[in-house]
Amino acid sequence: MPQTQSLDHPQLQVLHQLFSSATHDASSAMCRWTSGLITLTLDEVREIPLEDACTLVENDGDLLTMVVLTLAGEVGGTMILTFDDVNGRQLAATLLSRNVGDSPEWSDLEKSALCETGNILGCAYMNALTRLIDADLVPSPPYFLQDYGASVLEQALMEQAATCDQVLICRTGFHREGRELNWNVFFVPTVGLRNAMNAALGGA
Amino acid sequence: MSSIATNDKRVRSTVGMGQIMLACAGEKLSSVLGSCVGVVLYHPRMRLAALAHVVLPDSVGRSGQPGKFADKAIPEMLRMLAAEGANASGLIAKIAGGANMFGTAAGPMQIGEGNAEAVKKLLRDHRLRLESEHLGGSKGRRVTFDCDTGMMTIEIVGSENATI
Repeated sequence: MPQTQSLDHPQLQVLHQLFSSATHDASSAMCRWTSGLITLTLDEVREIPLEDACTLVENDGDLLTMVVLTLAGEVGGTMILTFDDVNGRQLAATLLSRNVGDSPEWSDLEKSALCETGNILGCAYMNALTRLIDADLVPSPPYFLQDYGASVLEQALMEQAATCDQVLICRTGFHREGRELNWNVFFVPTVGLRNAMNAALGGA
Repeated sequence: MSSIATNDKRVRSTVGMGQIMLACAGEKLSSVLGSCVGVVLYHPRMRLAALAHVVLPDSVGRSGQPGKFADKAIPEMLRMLAAEGANASGLIAKIAGGANMFGTAAGPMQIGEGNAEAVKKLLRDHRLRLESEHLGGSKGRRVTFDCDTGMMTIEIVGSENATI
């Protein structure tokens, strides 16, 4: 299997612009949904050594609440929204215009609200990528899970790891009324999508 | 890779993807595993252990840290342990991980099972005794190996801790 070519600085800058635009679209949608309470910003698009990737998940050994979307196929990827439990419950409550529930278990409605956030972000990212590589990308329905953050990110990174020691990660942060929240989005493209992106950026 | 002092004052080091670490008496090795496989080779008498966080089954000529691939990780662990005076004949193996986190039926996401099978074959090829294993499923694992007791504790969200 050939090794994946790393992106150079200008290519990463182009990707940053692309995902900034996608994040802006997603932020506008979230802002409308939450009456201006919640916005998003793109924190970084970068390649990092494989062994360091999971340290990006804060407290990588702790339990996280996540929403995962996958893009099936060779030109695919995985998007993971991560929240600690308290912050995830607060987001769901904000989206549903309710107080945070007392039950330790997540209700179906709360899970659904969080998954819808994943849907909004996923569609924004996929639309931007579709424009870049001129191919239709359709994400899976989002699904909700609670697990160790590093173990989920590890699985998402697996295909890139087969051909590369550096992995590409796009990270998005959430803000509530300007205050940074402990929620993150990771987007990890497959090797096929990375190559398509490289080609579209003139680096293949 | 990071090291922290736990409440019981013993150093616990975290082994990242593709890394191999050694630990001795008074120390613990820890890793969070999804579809990767954590391989411990342990010398009970010396209370010396190596933990590899194996990402893929086979290097097939690819570059990367030895711990990333099962076929390179086991020989490298043996080399590291031998350099500390631990012969292969005195070692036992324990393995955990190899989950299918996203529950898909086919494709590269089945890598967990492939990792587990590759590690087991390599242990057989090197005549290393596999004492215990905790593999498969669809959940992540936090594993901690205690060099004093020779036991690996496995935490899975929503389940009782297991010790192997």
